[in-house]
Amino acid sequence: MFRRKFIKNAAIATGGLLLQNNFLKAADLQYEGKKINIGIIGCGDRGTGLMHVLNELTDLYQIAGICDVLDFRIANAKKLAPNAVVYKDYHKMLDQKNIDAVIIAVPLSMHFALGKDALLAGKHVYLEKTMTYNIPQAIELVKLAASKPHQILQIGHQYRYTPLYFKVKEMCRSGYLGKVTQIDCRWDRNGNWRRPVPDPSLERQINWRMYREYSGGLPAELLSHQIDFINWVFDTHATKIFATGGIDFFKDGRETYDNVQAVLRYEKDGMVGNFGATCANSHDGYLFKIKGSKGTISLLVNEGVYYPEKETLKEYHQTVDGVTGATKITWNKDGGIPILTEPVKDGSWYALSDFHKCIETMQPPTSNVYTGARTAFTVHMINKSLFGNTIENWQPEYNVG
Amino acid sequence: MTAFLSAFKFSPLLLILWWCQSGAGQSQPREWKLNGYAQGTTYSIIYFKDKEVVKGAQIDSLLDNIDQSMSLYKGGSLINKFNGAVSGVQMDQHFRKVIKKSLEVYKASGGLFDITVEPLVQAWGFGAHKVDSLPTSSEIRGIMKFVGSDKIYLRGNYLYKRDKRVKIDLNGIAQGYSVDVLADFLESRGIGNYMVELGGEIRVKGHKLPGMQKFALGIQAPGNGFNEDLMQKVIELDSGGLTTSGNYRKFYMSKHSRVSHLINPKTGYSLQNEMISATVWARNAITADGYDNVFMAMGVKKSLAFVKHHSGMEIYLIYQKADGSVADTASAGFYKFVKKN
Repeated sequence: MFRRKFIKNAAIATGGLLLQNNFLKAADLQYEGKKINIGIIGCGDRGTGLMHVLNELTDLYQIAGICDVLDFRIANAKKLAPNAVVYKDYHKMLDQKNIDAVIIAVPLSMHFALGKDALLAGKHVYLEKTMTYNIPQAIELVKLAASKPHQILQIGHQYRYTPLYFKVKEMCRSGYLGKVTQIDCRWDRNGNWRRPVPDPSLERQINWRMYREYSGGLPAELLSHQIDFINWVFDTHATKIFATGGIDFFKDGRETYDNVQAVLRYEKDGMVGNFGATCANSHDGYLFKIKGSKGTISLLVNEGVYYPEKETLKEYHQTVDGVTGATKITWNKDGGIPILTEPVKDGSWYALSDFHKCIETMQPPTSNVYTGARTAFTVHMINKSLFGNTIENWQPEYNVG
Repeated sequence: MTAFLSAFKFSPLLLILWWCQSGAGQSQPREWKLNGYAQGTTYSIIYFKDKEVVKGAQIDSLLDNIDQSMSLYKGGSLINKFNGAVSGVQMDQHFRKVIKKSLEVYKASGGLFDITVEPLVQAWGFGAHKVDSLPTSSEIRGIMKFVGSDKIYLRGNYLYKRDKRVKIDLNGIAQGYSVDVLADFLESRGIGNYMVELGGEIRVKGHKLPGMQKFALGIQAPGNGFNEDLMQKVIELDSGGLTTSGNYRKFYMSKHSRVSHLINPKTGYSLQNEMISATVWARNAITADGYDNVFMAMGVKKSLAFVKHHSGMEIYLIYQKADGSVADTASAGFYKFVKKN
């Protein structure tokens, strides 16, 4: 009883921005402290990756079903969940009453259809990023999710769930960086980004990332994480986008670009974001820098370093002669301060833990259908610009949530 | 002569150098700063002297020497030899001093400070080696059988163990000792005004010259940990050691409880009380360092009572109140250090 009241009060305090009131109208906290039976739709690299994480969260979840159209993938997934029921057709899984929630980790072009079917079947849904293949699908999914206030729809932008990324958000918000004007992101690798294909007839199913019919390419698969993070930290979205790229190295019949660069203008925030990825150089690897008038934050997946600007540093040093503290600030040799010195778990661990909490408490996820839509809009705008040689502008109908 | 004058005119730095070297400024002490990396953290030293009588390389070699003796992270260190030994080891001077002090604090604190806590620290995943899973309660009970400083003893320069499974961890006190070693070294070079800081543990003496101000020291509060905004208090000192222990940075969540790196040697489990951090001032840094963990374990009331009955120590505590809010308190003597604006 106390808990319900608390949630209600919290909802009032945070306002009606995120459908909170709808969620609570008939909030049925049936999952409080209970394990959730979860079904996995799509048992490729990502699906099985998430199954590994679920196996670390056995007090929260039980993998009740696994579904894939490819037999070798099922065989692989079965090793991780020997007791799960196997489905070849996801509709059959969705028909099962004992499945409370599903993880959807399928090619991007299928995200919308499966997400929609799962919501209509009454399931809670963890839908991998990017939320949808295109803008119209994102708009439709937002509408559908709004009509299902008692179901959780979380989008798999897992990085923002780690303590490190939360901390970075807090730092940006509390002025450590001063006024941020530039964001530099890269996600580079030196490799063809292909998966091995046991039988040539399966090429398009396995290497769906290579084909425009199924995939949004590097912007959707990689850069969307950083795009989503910037949207979340600054509560914003890019208003103008120009992108360029090509199939510049792996001329192997692929259709999606292996080399892309997008420039994103955030007009109201006075920021420019440079988002790039190549498959033909791995020197920078994952690079994520947020640059402000007082300092820079440089992020890796699990590490972050804060570099104060020279003037900021002066203020710091002049305050006192020495500092005592339980774990003192350690300056790197290059003049930076590590943001979190403790090891963190994989982002998916935090994201899936939170998914359970959201289902338990009927509170909307941090990475929800609205933030997911904003990122999906941006990714599609990048792809429109990439393939159409246009400058894409944010449209009023994209203002959801 | 003309050339000399023009150099003179455009190069004030040269002028100063010439002036110093000529002996004109010899009686004027100036500030010297040393910074470096040691013991997995950084050090910072400020001293006032007319000439540079201590250099970074000397500091590094002193600290390296201590690491060879007491670092768990250094293969072949004396402490690792002791931990691997069946009956004990022959100690060096550093080791002996730290062990003696550790046993003294162990007794005075009723066992709340205990260097034989190593197997527990390791089991809970805060040791030098990674662990895959958390210990079960029966494993903890098993480990507790060889935890306790009553299972080690000194005979001359030899440290014995009564059980070969006994292992020690000096991380809770060796850094304070290192700070004292550096301070003693500065004093041996005729330096009477200095501040030594290593990993957030401090020792000061004298004043900043020429203005004769005391050293201003910040006490870091729980938070992000890298901005002056987060300093809870600024105090001023002209002598003694100052160290802090806290459980707000090194911890992880297990199920729904917080596992802190501070393990209670009497229970085998991580400390679960209201304390967030304890800052201790004492005559030297080894004493302050030995006791900061003790106060973390004692909690607010007992700590304040303890200090009342033990002279030469002052404390500043940050803790969490029952309603979740953060509060601070200090011993009467500590308030005198707080900088008045």
